[in-house]
Amino acid sequence: MAELEIRNLHVRTEEREILRGVDLVVRTGELHALLGPNGSGKSTLANTIMGHPSYEVTEGQILFDGKELNELPAHERAKLGLFLAFQYPVAVPGVSVANFLRMAINAQREEPIKVKEFGAQLDHAVKLLDVDRAFVSRHLNDGFSGGEKKRAEILQMAMLQPQIAVLDETDSGLDIDALRTVAEGVAKLHAEQGVGALIITHYQRILDYVKPQYVHILMDGRIVMRGGPELVARLEREGYDPIREEVAANA
Amino acid sequence: MPEAPTPAERKAGSAREATLNHALAGRGTARIALAESRELARSAYERLELPKWRRSGFWTTSLEQLDLDRLQIRTHEPEAKGPALLDGQRSAGVLVQRDGSVVHVELDPELAARGVILCSLEDAAREHSELFERYYLRRLLVDRHKLEAASAAFWSGGAFLYVPPGLHVPEPFQIVYEISQGGTAQYAHTLAIGDRGSDLRLRQYGLAEGIESESLHAGQFELYLEDGARCRLAQLVDWGTGAVHDVSTSIVEVARDGWCHWLPALLGGALIHHHDEIAIAGPGGDMAFRGLFFADRDQHLDVFAVDLHETGPSGGDVHWRGAATGESRASFEGLIQINAGAQQSHTYLQFHSMLLSAEAELDAIPSVLVGADDVSASHGGTVGELDEALIFYMQTRGFTRPQAVRVIVEGFFEPLIVQLDDPPLEQLIRDRIGVKLAAASAEIERYALAR
Repeated sequence: MAELEIRNLHVRTEEREILRGVDLVVRTGELHALLGPNGSGKSTLANTIMGHPSYEVTEGQILFDGKELNELPAHERAKLGLFLAFQYPVAVPGVSVANFLRMAINAQREEPIKVKEFGAQLDHAVKLLDVDRAFVSRHLNDGFSGGEKKRAEILQMAMLQPQIAVLDETDSGLDIDALRTVAEGVAKLHAEQGVGALIITHYQRILDYVKPQYVHILMDGRIVMRGGPELVARLEREGYDPIREEVAANA
Repeated sequence: MPEAPTPAERKAGSAREATLNHALAGRGTARIALAESRELARSAYERLELPKWRRSGFWTTSLEQLDLDRLQIRTHEPEAKGPALLDGQRSAGVLVQRDGSVVHVELDPELAARGVILCSLEDAAREHSELFERYYLRRLLVDRHKLEAASAAFWSGGAFLYVPPGLHVPEPFQIVYEISQGGTAQYAHTLAIGDRGSDLRLRQYGLAEGIESESLHAGQFELYLEDGARCRLAQLVDWGTGAVHDVSTSIVEVARDGWCHWLPALLGGALIHHHDEIAIAGPGGDMAFRGLFFADRDQHLDVFAVDLHETGPSGGDVHWRGAATGESRASFEGLIQINAGAQQSHTYLQFHSMLLSAEAELDAIPSVLVGADDVSASHGGTVGELDEALIFYMQTRGFTRPQAVRVIVEGFFEPLIVQLDDPPLEQLIRDRIGVKLAAASAEIERYALAR
């Protein structure tokens, strides 16, 4: 049981302050959705949680099981059990999916994984996520379609078995079939491995397949509204504008 | 000590002009007796100055500082055991030359019974004179520069391989040139022949470790593939971090319907100047010419790779990759040359580079000379640096920064390495690249942070 806590997080890039006091707690086994319009700071939050060097934390804390991560490099965060599924996964030329997965698993542990154990784990993940076995021989993300890239992200998540995963707009750029496959993959991993997930999205449609227990709305660098699945339904009906007006009226 | 040419012998202004590389393009010194070719080379050696190749002021490879008089040709007694490097590997045959002597030769007796010859080139000149004289220097010159002349005049030991018609040999023949101590001049010569319809694998190594004082490897390599012969040729050159200078020429001839997959891997040496040329000499000849280099520290590397088509139809596919770190200088010049009448030749040259430090320099000079009108010849390439987005991506998967860099650089070379279709050699090249990367990790890091 792990807990990711974000406490009064302020983040800036070279140009400007993007997050202005975010509070959020995600525990193993919980499904959270973070929704927000373009430019609200969603990707900044995802990248900052993982320790991207371009984002500077000016105030507040990121805690994992009570331990502050602010200064911890990304690979140490991965070892603690954090995972980020990228909005735009990067190609790794010359490295097959299977080889990448094996090296990534080994990077996170003392003893290298046994060939047999790795093979069994990969077979299982491939079946669970309904991925073509030939897929793992291809070079990671190199020449992949948008759907294949996102599927490769979820496959990595399945193999690395994080405690808590942040999914940064995993649904963007996918057609409905690809979206369903990816979303169902996340739901299966949640059911099977009990991963805690923070699903960051601009659209609501991924939430037709992964049902979040907690829903947060991010606007202008702050979480302005929290609720349950009913909040997703409201957004779907009304869009962001009424929420923005309501927040302004209450401010 | 030979004297510099008099002004009358030198063309006016020649020292200031760029020396553009030229393909050998079939020029050779064949069908003269060994003694005669040595004499020809010796007189060129006496006449010529140490070479300096320059190109329009932005690139110079100079051996003018080399003190040839201080270098020795060292000899050694034969040894029963082969090199540790090859332990546990299956080979069709092994030949090892240490400094100036062939110290070890072994050949699978079954192959010997079927007519395969593997022996020192000295022995071949005596015992297989007909073959020797038919092929020796068929496509090599002995007088383009002083070190080529020295190699042709003074080589000792040497390697000779002959695979008879129709014979398929799946295990590799392995030829090793070692430099064992500083102050050595190693003049090397390999002559290999795949006769009609034969199929072979040949690996040649140039190896040294910890050579602190100036040394020289001046080598000539020639491989002739007769009609329908096929060969996978790999050359691994790693003279280590010491002071070995390597000035060598390699030529591969592919006859009618022959095929060659050739990969030189240039990984270490203070100064490397290689002219590597593949000639498609018969219709239906085809080849894949791959190459990779990793220049580091203050290494100087100058490669001239030639894809020559003398007849058509013919195919070619040239693909080189190079990385440079430290204060190294690397230049890759790739030439496609299609002779008049070589109709229906189709070839492509690509070169990809990766720069890993601010002080390193890497140049790519592709050129195409076409004398026929029904052909396709083109070139392409990329210039790259380490991608920070990719490094962060990998860090989020648990890779430390040095681990990520290693995987990225290995991945950069991997498309070529995997094509070797030779797992022990593939792993050897990966490991040696890994060692170089580990040694350079601090400067790669500095470069990344400075950007």
